[in-house]
Amino acid sequence: MLNDESGNPMDDLSRRRFMSVTMAVAGLAATGALVGCSRTESISTDPNLLTLWYWNRSISEKLLDSARRSITGTPRRLRTDLIGGDFDVKLRTSLAGRAYVPDITGLNSNVALYFPSEDQFVDMNELGAQEHKADYLPWKWQFGVTPTDRMCFWPMDTGPTAQFYRTDLFAAASLPRDPDEVAATTDTWPAWLEAGKKLKRNSGVSLLANASIVYSQIVNASAERYFSPAGRALFQDPGGTIRRAWDVAVAAAQAGITAKVLTPAEQNSAWVSGKVASHIEAVWWGPILKSTAPNSSGKWAVAHQPGAPGNSGGSFLAIPKSCKDPKAAFDFITWLTSPEAQIQTYEDVQLFPSAPKAFESPQLSSPDKFFGGQDVLGVFQESAKEVPITFISPYDSQVSEGVLKELTNVETQGKDPDRAWADAMNQGIRQLEKRGLMK
Amino acid sequence: MTTTQARRDARALKQSRVARIVTHLAILVGVVLSIFPFYWLVVMATNTTAEIFGYPPKLIFGTHLFENIGHVLAAIDLFGALGNTLFVALSCTVLVMFFDSLAAFAFAKFEFPFRRTLFAVLLATFMIPAQLSLVPNFVVMSQLGWIGSFQALIIPGAANAFGIFLLRQLAAGAIPDELVEAARIDGAGFFRTYFQVAVPMLRGGLAFLGIFTFIGAWNDYIWPLIVLVDPKRQTLQVALAQLSSIYGTDYGMVMAGALISVVPLIGVFLIGSRHFIANIAAGAVKG
Amino acid sequence: MTTSPLTTRRPVSALKRYWPQYLAISPFYILFLVFGLFPIVFSLYISLHDWDGIGTMKWVGLAQFQYLLVDPRFWNAVSNTFIIWFMSTIPMLFFALVIAVLLHQNIRSKGFYRVAYFMPNVTSMVAMALVFGSVFSDTFGIVNSALKSLSLDTVPWLTSDWGIKTTIAVMVIWRFTGYNAIIFLAGLQAISSDVYDAAKMDGAGTARIFAQVTIPMLRPVILFTVITSTIGGLSLFTEPQVLLGNTGGPNESGMTIVLYQYNQAFTQFDFGYGSAIGWALFVIAALFAAINWRLVSERTGTKKWGRTK
Repeated sequence: MLNDESGNPMDDLSRRRFMSVTMAVAGLAATGALVGCSRTESISTDPNLLTLWYWNRSISEKLLDSARRSITGTPRRLRTDLIGGDFDVKLRTSLAGRAYVPDITGLNSNVALYFPSEDQFVDMNELGAQEHKADYLPWKWQFGVTPTDRMCFWPMDTGPTAQFYRTDLFAAASLPRDPDEVAATTDTWPAWLEAGKKLKRNSGVSLLANASIVYSQIVNASAERYFSPAGRALFQDPGGTIRRAWDVAVAAAQAGITAKVLTPAEQNSAWVSGKVASHIEAVWWGPILKSTAPNSSGKWAVAHQPGAPGNSGGSFLAIPKSCKDPKAAFDFITWLTSPEAQIQTYEDVQLFPSAPKAFESPQLSSPDKFFGGQDVLGVFQESAKEVPITFISPYDSQVSEGVLKELTNVETQGKDPDRAWADAMNQGIRQLEKRGLMK
Repeated sequence: MTTTQARRDARALKQSRVARIVTHLAILVGVVLSIFPFYWLVVMATNTTAEIFGYPPKLIFGTHLFENIGHVLAAIDLFGALGNTLFVALSCTVLVMFFDSLAAFAFAKFEFPFRRTLFAVLLATFMIPAQLSLVPNFVVMSQLGWIGSFQALIIPGAANAFGIFLLRQLAAGAIPDELVEAARIDGAGFFRTYFQVAVPMLRGGLAFLGIFTFIGAWNDYIWPLIVLVDPKRQTLQVALAQLSSIYGTDYGMVMAGALISVVPLIGVFLIGSRHFIANIAAGAVKG
Repeated sequence: MTTSPLTTRRPVSALKRYWPQYLAISPFYILFLVFGLFPIVFSLYISLHDWDGIGTMKWVGLAQFQYLLVDPRFWNAVSNTFIIWFMSTIPMLFFALVIAVLLHQNIRSKGFYRVAYFMPNVTSMVAMALVFGSVFSDTFGIVNSALKSLSLDTVPWLTSDWGIKTTIAVMVIWRFTGYNAIIFLAGLQAISSDVYDAAKMDGAGTARIFAQVTIPMLRPVILFTVITSTIGGLSLFTEPQVLLGNTGGPNESGMTIVLYQYNQAFTQFDFGYGSAIGWALFVIAALFAAINWRLVSERTGTKKWGRTK
């Protein structure tokens, strides 16, 4: 098989060697050809297509359909990618990997997470953001402004909070039924604690599912949180928000007015069964409650929460700097969040507007059968107007993680609150030291 | 034969009958436990979510398989993911089989300088856990511009120590020196000898390595999870996890998706099981 | 090979002569350099910084490791990993041995049994984690339904600490028992019958034969399975992540070391800390490998009827 009659053996050897070399090189080259195949940063290469990343039910599909055909006032169209799983993880992965970055992206309430990487996003002030500022709730607008005063995260929907409560359970424990009376009875946190104790005493029902709820919502309603905009740590201040929220939460836990249920599944079952009589959350919790506990329709109502109302949740829109056409992207964003569009959004996906003008629409005030005929949106509109302007730092969670964990320890394990607070502070400080933020 | 002997024999025979039945029973219990999750997967994939969640639960197949599959396909591009996974797994397999056998042949049959040292280094790389390089490899990938691409899944493992080690063992034994020598005398270069002598002789080992690599690439989860971003370019495992995280409550649909991702591999395995099982066992015993 | 003038030249010529072989083995070393060695060194570098992958790296020295040493979440993950490994490996090896012994008898359809026992090992872990998640679901799982029908208390498989660990351990056992059984079977089949005959002639009973002949001769195989199960156990990720999410479920009962690394590096984008965790895992793995090696293979002196390979 290896005998070659044509020519002398040395030529053969070198010819075969040449062949085998080329084959080997070709093999490596073929794999090498796969190298560096996709160096595009943006997801799609079609210049007229802008890609938007969003998650399920965060934007009205009707509005998106219109934009898919054409983005008003621009030659561009929209392509939407529904991102499941961990939205932030995917987005940050693509930003870190500098690949498949969308042209426009939705962001959830934790935009502060992106403040350290704000240079990855377009400053919409340069695109004319200030002209629209007056259309939006000031505290919501401020959330999207970075510490360096760049407007990177555009307001989409909001989550003003209030207390949802079971009128029948309140009445059975000789507490008021009417929302205004409930608000008056629980207008301060100490008063609210008393109401909770009365509820427990008279009918054995818990006021809240767990103490972390009251902690988080007090923080959500405060003008100062864990850090100042300049980065100064506020969370250890004895009279500061965090300590205050902690004290109320601990008092609630120790007074026994919480049901100590921690997982969503258990909480759902507690609301359904009437073991827990109220919840403090944002307007978007209403539809969730309706689907979780449909049989309790007519028994719920909404009242203002103790102290001042806060904001929980809400989303934003941002333009990554690799966007093909930031101007068109900005036009889409302002179109999507105009007061008229926000009314449509509310109709389609029940997301609460960030533009006060939208509140004036009749669709946003109507009696809700589930809440005994109450116009609940009216309550939230009032809440929305009173939410304080506040600063959320990217490093809030480094501290809140430990605080929430220790709070649970106090509530469920009976840990000594002072020790728990010390441990929580310790953990937060250690985390911050690890990140080089605290010496 | 004395009577005691005969009686002892009879008792032994009876004992061995009982023992055989017990043995078979025990083995069957094991088989049932092994297969049960697959059975249950089909049960769930063919029923509606309500039936799955009901009490008492339905224990037999239902009729809603196509309905569930329809929901899956409306939710995510599962067949696209299937195609992507096929592409990735096949590419890995081909590359691994080629590069590993080439290297194994070189190590087994040729005494080149530093051969021993180089092979020792290769063995040493076994000691390194993959988790050590997850984070930095992500950075390497982003520098290369490979995030979200399939190169990131295929290239890093294109030549692995395990395959080279395994095939070298095989090559050392299975390829006779005389054949290699004869080829050299006939004027064949290294690569020609590889194609004409080594590959045919290594067929069994290559088949095993191929199936092993294919299955591993198909089932790989953590690395594709980290590296793939575009929802339109995902592998099956990632797509399935995605499906479950978005639509987790629609069990019928999620299980239908799981079924689709399990079936192809079972098919491949059943076809190649003979090679695979024999070789894995042999490798373990010799290793 | 006859000596020729070529072989007496300097080594450079040998390099030239053996270039095809070097080319043949080069893909592995090139890939290892780029995707194996460099990342390891780079990982050490990253672990001395604070970095989110997008912005700039900030030098923090050993702060990540200092944090790691007292991080309760990390040590919880280590403890979980080991407990789950313990809970899965021991029953798994026992069952695998039993099954191998059973299959070693003269029975028919061995081929079918081997395929059936092997199937769990080759199937998608994500899919099976979903299936097990539903089987062991607190409220809708058939295990709890079965318990209910027997008037027993249901078990919080996915919400309690031991329930979670048990569920994960069951998944691992299910996945690897058949695989290891097949391997043990091959090992059993490799023991020549003369050894057994010699033992029987000396009057040893079945139990004694098993303990003093079979097990010692299976030692290399057992070592192999323990090592592979250790590697698998230390890198446990898919099952807890798919079953319980990125934080390992309530109270992080299912958080394993690799899951914690993924959690910190790729969901919190703390690359520095993720790299530090990777190194901690390496150290733990090395320690464990050393202990394993000493424990399982440290036996000197030959047994009466055995022959060490």
